[in-house]
Amino acid sequence: MITVSFNLNGKDVSCTVDAKEVLVDTLRERFRLTGTKKGCGTGDCGACTVLLDGEAVRSCILLTAMVEGRKVTTIEGVGTMDHPHIVQQAFVDASAVQCGFCTPGMVLTAIALLNRNPNPTEDEIRTALSGNLCRCTGYQKIIKAVQLAAERMREGR
Amino acid sequence: MNKTKYVGQRLPRTDSLAKATGAARYTGDIWVNRRDILYAKALFPPYGHARIKSIDTSEAEAIEGVAAVMVADDLPGMNGYGGMVPDKPVIAKDEVLYEGDPVALVAAETKEIAEKAVKLIKVEYEPLPGYDDPVKMLDPSSPMLHTDNPFHKNHNISDEQIIKKGDVEKAFREADVVIDNWYKTPLVDHAYMEPDAAIAEYDPIQGGITIWSPQHAVQLAKRAMSDAFGLPQSRIHVISQLVGGGFGGKEDSTFDVSVVAGVLSIKTHRPVYFELTRDEVFKGTGKRHPSIIHHQLAARKDGKILGIKVETIIDKGAYKSIDAIPSRTTQYAGGPYSIDNALTHSWSVFTDHPYGCAFRGLGSPQAHFAMECQMDELARKLDMDPVELRLKNILRDGDTTIWGQPMMEERGLGLEECIRRVTSDPKFNEPLDNSDPRIRRGRGIACFMYGTGTGSATDGAHVMVQAQPDGSINIGVSASELGQGFLIAMKQIAADTMGVTIDKIYLDYADSAASLESGATVASRTTVLTGNAIINGLEKLKERFSAVAAPMLKTGKENVCFYQNMVFAKGLENEGIKLTAVIAKAFASQVPLGAIGSWYPPMATPKGDGLGDKMHTYAFGCEGVQVAVDMETGEITVEDALLACDIGKAINPDTLEGQFEGGMAQAIGWALMEEHFMSDGKMKNHTFHDFLIPTAKDIPDLRTIIVEHPNALGPFGAKGAGEPPIVPGAPAIRNAVYDAIGIGLNEIPMTPVRVMEALRKKSAENADKSRR
Repeated sequence: MITVSFNLNGKDVSCTVDAKEVLVDTLRERFRLTGTKKGCGTGDCGACTVLLDGEAVRSCILLTAMVEGRKVTTIEGVGTMDHPHIVQQAFVDASAVQCGFCTPGMVLTAIALLNRNPNPTEDEIRTALSGNLCRCTGYQKIIKAVQLAAERMREGR
Repeated sequence: MNKTKYVGQRLPRTDSLAKATGAARYTGDIWVNRRDILYAKALFPPYGHARIKSIDTSEAEAIEGVAAVMVADDLPGMNGYGGMVPDKPVIAKDEVLYEGDPVALVAAETKEIAEKAVKLIKVEYEPLPGYDDPVKMLDPSSPMLHTDNPFHKNHNISDEQIIKKGDVEKAFREADVVIDNWYKTPLVDHAYMEPDAAIAEYDPIQGGITIWSPQHAVQLAKRAMSDAFGLPQSRIHVISQLVGGGFGGKEDSTFDVSVVAGVLSIKTHRPVYFELTRDEVFKGTGKRHPSIIHHQLAARKDGKILGIKVETIIDKGAYKSIDAIPSRTTQYAGGPYSIDNALTHSWSVFTDHPYGCAFRGLGSPQAHFAMECQMDELARKLDMDPVELRLKNILRDGDTTIWGQPMMEERGLGLEECIRRVTSDPKFNEPLDNSDPRIRRGRGIACFMYGTGTGSATDGAHVMVQAQPDGSINIGVSASELGQGFLIAMKQIAADTMGVTIDKIYLDYADSAASLESGATVASRTTVLTGNAIINGLEKLKERFSAVAAPMLKTGKENVCFYQNMVFAKGLENEGIKLTAVIAKAFASQVPLGAIGSWYPPMATPKGDGLGDKMHTYAFGCEGVQVAVDMETGEITVEDALLACDIGKAINPDTLEGQFEGGMAQAIGWALMEEHFMSDGKMKNHTFHDFLIPTAKDIPDLRTIIVEHPNALGPFGAKGAGEPPIVPGAPAIRNAVYDAIGIGLNEIPMTPVRVMEALRKKSAENADKSRR
């Protein structure tokens, strides 16, 4: 067992975990942050995406021990139902949510993209989201949501 | 009917924000937040077909923290469950018939303990030959898969269906051309993002059980699992949490997990959580049935189709599940065309594969794939325009289907409009860029029809409606929110029917204790059947409230109108009274505030030979696609896709487009990449990196056209819309590839390997011809 200290959604936290424990289990089962979903456990589907120092990573193939001293942001850390993030609101407004299981991961991947590239082309959006699988939407309205969010962020709304 | 304010509007879904912020809770999220729940694991066999010689659970049982280990002999009830017949064992006893048959179950205090314990169970197997080929299994001389299952006595045939119409032999004799081809479609997973999970909690007060799980059908679940639990159906309470994608699959797979959690909970009297890993989801849960189709089509030289003969062999897998596929493949074998003579014959055949279950379209995609490929083959043979050929044959008002059902414009017949709107689309008519010899581009179309509802005698919906004294309305419906947006659509229908603002409508949904049987959330049936039942229930309330309001308004009850929480006499909108005042008076005078709403489609009497009306209405559509084929790698890119679909009436165009786009994308996956490989009953690819589904990079801009030819029996004219959009995609892509490279590929998925094989075969044939 090892003790890991990191910043989680703006707060310094620490926990003692088995060296083999992956971050998605730590977030869900220890911190009860269930907005992070577990879809495959093999790093393929992207449902478990979180931000690690602002970059989108798959928490199901990241050992918790690896986040020592780093900054982890989950879907709960970017916005709430009362104060949603611009990207979360854009997903609602663009009707980009169906079953919703991929949505938190999609939102976080989109936030990471827009932070490094505020004006992405459609192709850049598709490339950025290509590690996040969605079976419901055909991605059509998700792409529109990211474009809408980009527009609103550029306008400072 | 009141003025409509909400139906037809693009209202935001009620569940979006909760899902986008992570606040929405799925089944696995409840487990995380409840610390009294045992964690379950199942031991699955390392074989697709094997005899169980012995099981030793002693080491697993000895571990501290293990609450129960169960083998077949420990079950509380019958060792079987299922949506249609209880033919699937909860725990395999003597033999495993596929990789998803559990051999033993464990429940433990923690996940870690359960995982450790399940590995300590020792099983001695005798591997048996794997039955992979449904064609061989159909042969009467083949060995039986089910040697001792009371539900399966007809050799290896799970179901067999035939439609016979007219005189097929005569049609083929009189035909100018006969098109005769074989088609093949793959075994594919639904690939919903949420792995299957269930919580079961024993009820010590009345000796019942409550199940939380992502269900398609909370009422059917009671019937499907009652024998296995050894409990009366009334004691099983099922709540469907939000469903993280289902597409038909969770209609069955949720029973697989619920029954395991349930028997462990009954045994331990503790709440139990059971979830599948993705690997277990791939190997164990239901799939889209693979099919092998022999399609013969007879036509006159002017393009008129005279008859079809179609044989379809369907790989059923190991258990029956929802076995409507023979029925649907015989029904849709002739596509949306008027054909006087037909003989269509389908068999679903047992193998050692994952069971085939409902998957968006339920056999219709397979049947239409063959038929719509045949239409392009016929067009080529006759040198006719494929669009003209289709327009010449489509079902019109007064025509009958191959199953003898007359088509009526009053139930919505928008196929011609769909075809014209796709084929006249400016982008779909732009010149193709074929300047680079390596990249060949082409276009293709495909048409389809798809019925609303199951077409069975039990297909109906019953709901509870209840007005509250504050003017808000509860509606108890058993349907589930799968992501399709049924909550907002039902609210739109209910608010307009009752004449209240939409915030007054609250749905008590997907809870077997708060609803009546309104059928499974499948078969593109919820908007129409449940929507109509809600209308029926609310109209009953309005009738009562009209009688109460009439003297208050000094008018006759037939003149009472309801709109935006106000009640007024016809034409006197400004002199209304509040609905709450009417409800208060009704409440005080013992007028019941609750009612049951019911609706079922007109029942048809089967006429023999598979003939007779099936569904009361059908969605129609046409998809046009443009593809680019890389002649050096065999890779196919879908560059444009345009779907026009007649769904009667768009209750909410936003969620409807979501169904269109999702179906189109799934069709691209089915046509180009998805395929499970089986050998000796073992699945060779069972991760998302070797079973590929489309990513955002594989899908083009998906363009959609909503066509509305109202269904006179539908709520506000609606027809079912959930499944139809997947149906035309694969044949449209195949026909576009044909246009691009001049080769008709009759097997999907059209992977680079299959495309390169076909290209090489063709160039060898050409070389051969030029040598001669």
